[in-house]
Amino acid sequence: MTPPLQDDIYELVRQPIDASALAGHVRAAEDGATVTFDGYVRNESHNRPTLYLEYEAYESMALAKMREIGAELHKKYRIHRVAMVHRLGHLEIGETSVFIAISAPHRAAAFDACRFAIDTLKRTVPIWKKEFFEDGAVWADGELPPAPTATPRAKPAS
Amino acid sequence: MLLAPPSHAGYNSVVTPVSQTVRVKVLFFGRLKELIGRGEDALEVSEASTIEQLFTAYAGRHPELGKFRSSLVASRNQEFAAWDTPLHSGDEVAFLPPVSGG
Repeated sequence: MTPPLQDDIYELVRQPIDASALAGHVRAAEDGATVTFDGYVRNESHNRPTLYLEYEAYESMALAKMREIGAELHKKYRIHRVAMVHRLGHLEIGETSVFIAISAPHRAAAFDACRFAIDTLKRTVPIWKKEFFEDGAVWADGELPPAPTATPRAKPAS
Repeated sequence: MLLAPPSHAGYNSVVTPVSQTVRVKVLFFGRLKELIGRGEDALEVSEASTIEQLFTAYAGRHPELGKFRSSLVASRNQEFAAWDTPLHSGDEVAFLPPVSGG
């Protein structure tokens, strides 16, 4: 049996994301549905016009966390393939910053998995966004990833 | 927290192990990188120092850093880690502000 992540794609890129290529990659004969999430740069933040964004990442850890999300997706949901790509560097308004495509035999699992994937990415993957405005720049408010509070810490039984 | 002082070698010194230090790689991201002025550093710390002590050493040099303590998480070797995690030679520690990808 092939490991479930083998046909998946997890990448950080500095060039525009080719969304249709990723959606095509996950699509296979045994599937019946693909759900995609396309996250792109909005032209305002807290009612201030945004000029552009810059993303940076702790790249080795970000990729490891993206693969962890993938492994969890395959465990939790009856899905087939995952493509998860985040762009770094300078992004203009309207450009895709993150794209996720998930295929499955049946749509419900693909919808649920895609929602879980983007929500978990935003909470746990070490990527940071800086927003540039006419009159300056700010690091976007983010979420503090859940981290162990003391070591060692036993995992609660589920 | 910096380099341990050289051992006082002299006529009467016997060969005893000096207090061990370990070298760790330290990474800063986002606003922390801007505050420190660099994204990557290497530091010698005494063996069994914790991530918390490492942070305190940097906060000593960059007092503004201290106010971010409660809004950071730390990682050791690409895994989120508790502040009381002891450090070993070659560890890669990072201080991570709230993440905002997506």
